[in-house]
Amino acid sequence: MKLKELKENSEAVVTGLDGDPRFIGRITSIGLTPGSSLSVIKNDRNRPVLIYARDTMIALNRKECEGIEVSEVRA
Amino acid sequence: MSAATIALLGQPNSGKSTLFNALTGLHQHVGNWPGKTVEKKEGTFTHNGKSYSIADLPGSYSMSANSDEEVITRDFIASGKADVVCILADSSQLERSLFMLADFAGMDVPCFLILNMADVAKDQGKYINVSAIEKKLGIPVALISANDKNSYEKFYDVFERAVKEKTKLNVSALEKEYESLNGYDEIKSSLEDNTIEGYSPMWLTVKTLENDKVITAKLREKLSNEDFNRISRYSDTKGAIAAGESKFRWIDDILKDAVNVTKTRATLGKLDRIYTHRFWGKPAVVLTVILGLVGSFIPALPVMGLGSLVDALKVAVSEMLAGAGYPDFINQILCNVILQSMSFVIKMLGFVFGVTLVFGLLEEVGVMARISYVFDNTMSKLGLQGKSVMPFLVSFGCTMGGAAGSRVIDNWGQKVLTVALTWAVPCGATWAIIPMLSSIFFGSAAPVVIIAILLVMILHMWITAKVFGRNLVKSEDKFGMIMELPPYHKPKWGALFRYVFGRTKDTFFRVTKVVLLVCGIFWLLSYSGSDSYDSTLLYKLGIAIEPFTKLLGMPWQLFIAFVASSVGKEGAIGVISALYSGTSYAQGFNEAMSGGAVAANLNELLLANVSRPEALAFIFAITFNMPCIVALAATYQEIHSVKWTAKIAAYYTLSALLIGFIAYHVGLLIW
Repeated sequence: MKLKELKENSEAVVTGLDGDPRFIGRITSIGLTPGSSLSVIKNDRNRPVLIYARDTMIALNRKECEGIEVSEVRA
Repeated sequence: MSAATIALLGQPNSGKSTLFNALTGLHQHVGNWPGKTVEKKEGTFTHNGKSYSIADLPGSYSMSANSDEEVITRDFIASGKADVVCILADSSQLERSLFMLADFAGMDVPCFLILNMADVAKDQGKYINVSAIEKKLGIPVALISANDKNSYEKFYDVFERAVKEKTKLNVSALEKEYESLNGYDEIKSSLEDNTIEGYSPMWLTVKTLENDKVITAKLREKLSNEDFNRISRYSDTKGAIAAGESKFRWIDDILKDAVNVTKTRATLGKLDRIYTHRFWGKPAVVLTVILGLVGSFIPALPVMGLGSLVDALKVAVSEMLAGAGYPDFINQILCNVILQSMSFVIKMLGFVFGVTLVFGLLEEVGVMARISYVFDNTMSKLGLQGKSVMPFLVSFGCTMGGAAGSRVIDNWGQKVLTVALTWAVPCGATWAIIPMLSSIFFGSAAPVVIIAILLVMILHMWITAKVFGRNLVKSEDKFGMIMELPPYHKPKWGALFRYVFGRTKDTFFRVTKVVLLVCGIFWLLSYSGSDSYDSTLLYKLGIAIEPFTKLLGMPWQLFIAFVASSVGKEGAIGVISALYSGTSYAQGFNEAMSGGAVAANLNELLLANVSRPEALAFIFAITFNMPCIVALAATYQEIHSVKWTAKIAAYYTLSALLIGFIAYHVGLLIW
């Protein structure tokens, strides 16, 4: 599923990335690589998705996270 | 002569600027990288009797080729101009922020690592074993808090060690990770140590896999066609992702036994729960900026008081000169041009000082990142970052403050566009005169004019974003936000104050030159040598251009007031007053710049001489004219481009006249 479909407080693992070199460069430099785990802090419409991954609170524009595939981890 | 040159490398929010400002104090110089619009910050500092040069590299998140900043950064490092590179990482977000180190690995330059924000990491319950990290990396490492004075001993210690021993990063573990990548061995075997000076074959191989445009173009020149084609087939998205995974595996391995976390992961703090709230987020941000604006008057007031003092000095100096028998024109040049300009500049500077301090503080503490998050969606419609909302709001108070505030925007094109758009926001001085003029001419319909101005403002910003955006914001920069919200930090007051004083001093010299020149020209035009106004150049010029200004819907007096409003909008009313009441023009201009001098019978004078459509034309034209001469100078100071500053100024002057022209014709239809 796509990252932006995740509900608040859910945990997930990145399974795939897709996009142009700029996007790939930027998204890996902020720590989202396949296999990395994340949790969703906030996911409101019309706002960037707020996640916590690799020690960091990260805000992702909704359009930008189209290219991030995740699979949810049941706690 | 400096003993060594050090380059600072780190992601945004790693505390790079704090460290740079704290080390250099006022010994810093801001310029441009040759041929680029990227800001170049250099400085010097002395330690143990030796003098060192330091360069604050503009690089953003990695060493890739996604922006001018990143290419400049790596070219500078590869050129060997720096004897040692200081890599900064945020110890409260170590895993992610070590990415810069991983991307740097393979550049053939001595380096050391500074783990900043030790205080924040400690609060999070993180224990970091520095010597374990040092052992794995083979370079000096220090854990510091750039906002804590006592940390700097540790910084100097590792710095001196790195310079003396020319310590280089141990990359063997990283290379082992890379060796598992598809195509790695094949690409690397076609490269030699000096294929591209300053970069190791390992680094070049990884950039080839990542499909780095600049590097692959260079390799195409250096390698045979056959070799290049053989290796370039590995350049794709898969290669880039896999290389990213390798870097993080290496980082994980470094941190595995070196970091101990006692507390569980962070959740949203109280303040962040408000800022990120679906309904209260935006009001909270707007309130923060307004409070910041109000707060910026506290440090500004003493400076503004000093400006008024200079103004008050004018009368005394003038009397003294007259008493001593100096000719009138010397008296006027000294008082009406020089002292007047100084008073004007100092008053304005108070505000620049306040805004730079308060909004620099908001940036440093971490609030600016939240502002960006909340307004990301709205601002992306203009092709801008969420942070741009801050300069816009500040510009309702003062455009110069808005221009100064745009420095928190990290992309040059978006910064220029933001500054250009702040000019469309009517500033405090405009709000001081527009309601008054509107009520003189339109009585109870004045609020309608105000609403029309706000609507035109929104339309103006939208059109201007389209007009300038095409050239300024490249489509590859138009991406939405991908950024971290850093934990809140304590500011380093000393470094912040030094930085703000430096900026204000810089603005002072730039602005004074311009204001003196413009005031001088106006004074010359309005100087008659006697009390009669019809011998002044201004009057003759006004009569001559009236056929043209009438076309635009303004009598010449209003047109001259329009021109004067590009110096300072406060002046416009005083100028009208002087022109219509026929008092001494020179004195009228002089007093207009102080914001006073309104003829007692201004209402009757205006109503007798100006029709309603003409008044409407004038109101719209001055509202959307260039904000003031100081805003012009501040704009140049922020965007470092004469071409763009001139473009923006010309665009606003012409579009203001066009808007006035339209308003005039709308007025003719109504009345």
